[in-house]
Amino acid sequence: MPEQGNDDELEQQLRELAARFDPVPPRLLDAAVDSYTWRTVDSDLAELVFDSQAEDQAALVRGGEHARLVSFAAGDLVIDLEITGGGQDRRIIGQLAPPQRAAVEIRQGSDVTGLDTDELGRFGGTLHTGPFSLRCRTGAEPDRTVVTDWIAL
Amino acid sequence: MQHGGVGSLVKAAARGDATAWRALVDSFSSLIWSIARGYRLGSADAADVFQTVWLRLAEHLSRIENPDHVGAWLATTAKRESLRVARGGARTVPMDDAALADLAPSGEPSPEQAVLRAEQAELDAQLARRMWRILGEMSGRCQQLLRVLMATPPPSYAQVAAALDLPLGSIGPTRARCLQQLRIRLVSEVSGTGSPAHKDEGDQ
Repeated sequence: MPEQGNDDELEQQLRELAARFDPVPPRLLDAAVDSYTWRTVDSDLAELVFDSQAEDQAALVRGGEHARLVSFAAGDLVIDLEITGGGQDRRIIGQLAPPQRAAVEIRQGSDVTGLDTDELGRFGGTLHTGPFSLRCRTGAEPDRTVVTDWIAL
Repeated sequence: MQHGGVGSLVKAAARGDATAWRALVDSFSSLIWSIARGYRLGSADAADVFQTVWLRLAEHLSRIENPDHVGAWLATTAKRESLRVARGGARTVPMDDAALADLAPSGEPSPEQAVLRAEQAELDAQLARRMWRILGEMSGRCQQLLRVLMATPPPSYAQVAAALDLPLGSIGPTRARCLQQLRIRLVSEVSGTGSPAHKDEGDQ
């Protein structure tokens, strides 16, 4: 069995290699610092409760024709999404349950895109690859806003 | 690692302290990146995981049950997102060869005096490249564990266990075995014919 000291030394050498050959890209460090500005303090969090991509390894292929189904829940409010399409741009169709009118913001990159649901709580929009989150302001309860967990497309 | 300090950073960031947030980013970015790479994600996929994990934390700051264990929380989140991205049909690649290409031989040799130093630097660079390549050729399990351990600052075993879904008690012995395997490959290459033949394929 090797000496612990030698192991620590070798591990430290490896650490230096990683720092040299595969460091965290600086633009990502900047993005991590910036992600703090997305923090919301006045919203309920709708946590990810279902993701077909996590559940079913076989059925889905990125860029394939199958839809990815994702659900978020905050208390009694559920947001279901169906995501289709491949390449850079994806199409989402969303549904709030219980059905209700709401103002929805798609948050992605440094952009916010606003859209409204119909009276049945349905909405649609486009996304690019990368992380996104939705922010919903419902009409039912005054000033209730809900943000979803971030997920990557 | 600054235990005790981490929990208060989380609480301070939850209260709106951007400096505390930055300190968290400095403390754990390398770990998150190393985990994504350990799951053999390419640059674009690893970038998605990395960004998603930090965005996720920003929204969860005031909701994390045990702020002192935010490192394990981040490791677990990075693991889940890495698996999710991998299942999405993304390409998995061996350790980044592109990074090797970026490493130019040490700078232009200036007058005689610098030549020796340049030669030494070139030898060091060769050794580093060889070691990196051998690492990329190791078994998936060892490569994954070592890549996560290579984070700066060194991750705790609890964080490694969370990142790889391994029992805490198995990290130490597996680490020893993988480092030994790496050492054997290094030695057999150096003392062998000098050709990049791999003599041991052993991995339990």
